[in-house]
Amino acid sequence: MIEPVARPHATLVELLDRVLDRGVVINADIIISLAGVPLIGVNLRAALAGMETMVKYGVMKEWDQRIRCQTLESKKTPEGSVSAKEEVPIATGRDVSRAKDQG
Amino acid sequence: MKQGSETQRESAARTSSGSEQAGCYVYCVARAGEQGSLGAIGIEGHEAYTVPHKGLCAVIHDCPARPYESTDPEVAGVWVLAHHRVVEAAWKRWGNVLPLTFNTIIAATEKSAEENLVAWLETEYDSLNGRFDTLAGKSEYVVQVSWDAAVITGTVAKASPEIRKLEEEIGSKPRGLAYMYRQKLGKLLKKEIEAKAEKEFKALYDTISRCVDNIHVEKTKEDQEGRQMLMNLSCLVSTERYPDMEAELAKLGNTEGYFVRLAGPLPPYSFC
Repeated sequence: MIEPVARPHATLVELLDRVLDRGVVINADIIISLAGVPLIGVNLRAALAGMETMVKYGVMKEWDQRIRCQTLESKKTPEGSVSAKEEVPIATGRDVSRAKDQG
Repeated sequence: MKQGSETQRESAARTSSGSEQAGCYVYCVARAGEQGSLGAIGIEGHEAYTVPHKGLCAVIHDCPARPYESTDPEVAGVWVLAHHRVVEAAWKRWGNVLPLTFNTIIAATEKSAEENLVAWLETEYDSLNGRFDTLAGKSEYVVQVSWDAAVITGTVAKASPEIRKLEEEIGSKPRGLAYMYRQKLGKLLKKEIEAKAEKEFKALYDTISRCVDNIHVEKTKEDQEGRQMLMNLSCLVSTERYPDMEAELAKLGNTEGYFVRLAGPLPPYSFC
C-alpha cells in the first residue's frame, strides 16, 4: 500500500487545542483573570468543548465550512504554495488515506 | 488606535459598569521592532497593531479589561480562530512569533495598559529573546500515526503461534466450547495488539524524534472507523530538517496498515 504523505491543514479542533491551552502565559498582576486562575472563561471553555463534539459529529460542518471560506478569503496567497510559511487555512484535515481513496 | 465601531461586548460592558477599566488583548510577541497595523483582523474585527520595545513587538488590540466569555460555541469559536488569524499574520510577516494563550488581557493600573505591556516586555526581555533564539526557523507540525485495525489484527494473529493454534482448534470444537475459545482468542488478541502498540510507539517515537527539534506527545484522538490512533505528536521542526521528517513519515505511510497524517506548518504554539 503506497500512500504519499499529504500536507493537510490543521483541523479546527487542533487549532482550538493549541490556541486555548498553549502559548506564552503572562504571570503578573497586570493580567486580568477570573478568581486568579483561568484566563479563559469557564463558560467559554464549556462552550468550546461542546463545539468540539459538534464538529466531531458533523453538526458544525456548515459553520466550519463557512469559517473556512472566510479564512481563505482573508488570505490571498496563490494556490499550491508550499514554503515553510505556507497558509494553514482552517479546514477539516484531509489525511493521506483519504487522499488515496479519492485517487 | 481604537476601533471605530463599538462591539456588542463592549457596549454591554459599558452599560453594566459605567466607565470601565481599559485593557489590551495580547496575541503574540514578534521579534521585530516595527510599529504598525496588521489591519482589522483581530477578534470582533478589532485592529491588531504592534507595540514595539527594543527590537521586539507585541501584537495587541485595545479592549476593556475583561475576559472574552460566551456560552455560544459559535461566538467563542470565531474568537479563537481570529486569535489564530492574527498570530499567523504576524508569523508570516516577521517569520517568528511567540503566541500568547487565548484571552491574555493586560489591564491598566495607575499606568496605561500599553505601559504595563511595555514594562512586561522589559522584564521578560532576555527570556523572550532566548525563546526566539530557540525557535528561529522552526515550525510546529501535527503528526498522527494510525493503524488499520483489520490489517494489524491479521498481522498479530499470524505472528502468534498461540493464536494460530487457538484458531485451528475452534473449528473442531462443538458450539459451546467454540464460544469459550473465541472469548479466549479475543482476549489474547487484545493483549498482543496492546503489546505491539507499545513496542511500535517506542520505535516510532525514537525514529521521529531523531529528525525533529522537539516533540510533544499528545493524547490520541478518536480516529475514523476501522482505525486506531497509535500516536499523536506535536513536532517542532526546522526548515532544514523538514525533508528528513517528511521522508521518514512517507516511509511509514508506505507500510501496509499504517496511516500517517502530517498537518502544518503552524506557529510554535506548543513550544514557547
